[in-house]
Amino acid sequence: MVNINFKELNIESVSKSFPGVQALDNVSMKISAGKVHALMGENGAGKSTLIKILAGAYSKDTGNILFDQNKLNIRNPNDSLNYGIKVVYQEISLISEFSVAENIFLDNFPTNSLGVMNWNKLYKDTEELFNRVGFNLNPKSKISDLSISQQQMVEIARAVFKNASVVIMDEPTSSLTPNEIEKLFTVIKNLKQNNIAILYVTHKIDEIFKIADEVTVLRDGQHISNKLISETNEELIIKDMVGRTVNATFERPKDILSAKTVMKVEKISSKNKIKNVSFDLHEGEILGFFGLMGAGRTELAKAVFGYDKITEGQIEVNNNIYKSFNTSTMVNNGIGYITEDRKGEGIVKDMNLRENMSLPSLKIFEDLFIINRKREKKAADEYIKKFSVKTPSSERLITLLSGGNQQKVLVSRWLIRELKIIILDEPTRGVDIGAKTEVLSLINDLAKQGLSVLLMTSEMNDLLSLSDRILVMADGKISKEFYRGKVTQEEIFKASVN
Amino acid sequence: MKYFQTNESILFGLLVLLCIFLSFYNPQFYSIQNIHSILRSSSTVMIVAFGMTILLTSGEVDLSVGALMSFVTVIVMDVINITGSISLGLIAVFGFCLFIGLINGLVRTVLNVNSLIATLAMMLILQGSVYVYSMAAIYNTHLIPLFSFIGQGFFLNIPMPVVIMLFILPFFVVLLNYTRYGRYFSSIGSNPDAAKLSGINNNRYKVIGFVITSLLVGVSGVILASLMDTGQQGSAKGFELIVIAAVLLGGTSFMGGKGTIIGTILGILILKIIDNGIILMRIPQEFQLIVPGFILILAVYFDGVRKKNSG
Repeated sequence: MVNINFKELNIESVSKSFPGVQALDNVSMKISAGKVHALMGENGAGKSTLIKILAGAYSKDTGNILFDQNKLNIRNPNDSLNYGIKVVYQEISLISEFSVAENIFLDNFPTNSLGVMNWNKLYKDTEELFNRVGFNLNPKSKISDLSISQQQMVEIARAVFKNASVVIMDEPTSSLTPNEIEKLFTVIKNLKQNNIAILYVTHKIDEIFKIADEVTVLRDGQHISNKLISETNEELIIKDMVGRTVNATFERPKDILSAKTVMKVEKISSKNKIKNVSFDLHEGEILGFFGLMGAGRTELAKAVFGYDKITEGQIEVNNNIYKSFNTSTMVNNGIGYITEDRKGEGIVKDMNLRENMSLPSLKIFEDLFIINRKREKKAADEYIKKFSVKTPSSERLITLLSGGNQQKVLVSRWLIRELKIIILDEPTRGVDIGAKTEVLSLINDLAKQGLSVLLMTSEMNDLLSLSDRILVMADGKISKEFYRGKVTQEEIFKASVN
Repeated sequence: MKYFQTNESILFGLLVLLCIFLSFYNPQFYSIQNIHSILRSSSTVMIVAFGMTILLTSGEVDLSVGALMSFVTVIVMDVINITGSISLGLIAVFGFCLFIGLINGLVRTVLNVNSLIATLAMMLILQGSVYVYSMAAIYNTHLIPLFSFIGQGFFLNIPMPVVIMLFILPFFVVLLNYTRYGRYFSSIGSNPDAAKLSGINNNRYKVIGFVITSLLVGVSGVILASLMDTGQQGSAKGFELIVIAAVLLGGTSFMGGKGTIIGTILGILILKIIDNGIILMRIPQEFQLIVPGFILILAVYFDGVRKKNSG
């Protein structure tokens, strides 16, 4: 057993790089026992990478992690757990048909010598644990009967029930009501009294002033600032978080907003988060949607495209008004969609490159009812050449291509047909820095040829370098509209956290 | 495409080996009567299996085909007995099959019930309600020669069920391999989200898949009724299992995404010839179920191994 009496967890100049990205660059920080240390930064700042290194999911390239002066040797998640480093993730991962107590002791049921469950001990131990951390929950309740915040308490209890030294919370309040957040804070205060070090990862600035003792800001994988909470304020933190340099700005036509309207979205709502969203899209316009994780960007894109049903409102395209529609309606109206989840929702793994490319457009390759494979192949070859897709032929199975090349196929999927509007969800996610500018300049070129673009992004750089207009989303709604060149990163960020 | 070809050539090789072995073992195997009998009983399975191949390709399955087929034999015999008209008998059968296919499809898509469960329930409903329709088997009292010809007749010395099957076959080979609908079915089975985000109406094609399968059951059911000269409540019990086993043996994936009609045909021939061989070799009949069971496990296992190696 490792001695977990320590004053602070030292992270010393930790670096981690992925192909094309320096995810963490010489980051150091100290997390004190019995204190709440907030970790902040935009998407891509390196927060998740740091959490994963502490949790043993990634290995660091260089640097050290220590309890005071003792070096920790974290090679895998198990090592990390043995050191008492516990992560409470955003998603609840409990077994909903089991009781609270069963979930907490899942990998460690109390049994008698014959291996039969000792239910009394299970419930008693759970109750004892709850008293220690100050929860008020019935150990016998079924998980599915609990509220989200109660489930989160169970997650935390499970994390801390044996030898927790450091608890990492990743966006713990993203699905909680204000009332539930207060309860969570009480729990965190109890953890502090048990001398546990807490790393609190969030993008909600108001929260850290209520709960944190100090705050560290990362940006682009680098340590930017570390301050006691009493020595800082909201303005300063936002300034540290954004202030990113925008790499490339593109020349955009100035009169784009007087071009004709190609899509009119009026007061749409969906079961998936979207509430009362309205906007117009002009011909050749790049309309950027910015929002933090969970703001509803993807959900909005899917509602507009007919993937999720809208419950209220209407969409006007090509002089048709739609209140109820599916993806097929939208594709027939010349709208395309490129997902952020290439593997999950983009490629069809049992098909080859050509078949993946032509999937939405098979009608145009038909002679009577039969697909004209020659014409289909010619179109595929044309785009393979145009985007220099690295493949021996159009007949190669899509799964044998690299990620970047798969992405090119998915873009071509829409360009081989007549397209008026394209919805792009995080088009530069997972693309390395060199290729990023290439993607952005392609989007710019397409828009100049008259294609209208809905650009859903959490990357300030993409947003500012391309968008003619920016709509900021928060909590499923549009919170603010900005115009190109008349907005600062701070203003956008502020609108997105409210 | 290469993969399908190798998979099918393995099956074809297996089929040839089986035939050679049985021919040496018992020359009766290649008697014209025996070959006719194998082909005749294969045809009813094949006709339904064309639909099942489409369904499995799109990631769905229909367990109610056997129960529906039994029901069809009863309906067709009864309606023709009463009306004296084959046309009315066929209208009744296809009307009924269309209805059941639609229900299967709608329960799957609108109520969002897993098709394994939805069609299992339909199987139970049909197995029960056929007795509500008639407690007793229905014998051929109309004695119309044309009706007997459907199952028992010959055209150019080829059994009629085979002729009917060969008539339907090209339509499905083309549908699955050369039309956009074939691509839609595989994309829906392989990655439903990607299909939907490509503007494909997944639910519409799933309903179509169930309807096609049910209508094909109608065709096979009429042939079966003609062959038996009876409409019988349990005449196609367990039929769904043979169909599904043959389709899987043929190389269509149970997880959806890829399907092959030619593979399905080879799968059925292999199972039927093993069946026949067990009789010819005077092996106890129980093995007619045991041997195909083992073959199916091996086939799907090797398919998985091969996929891992290639991917």
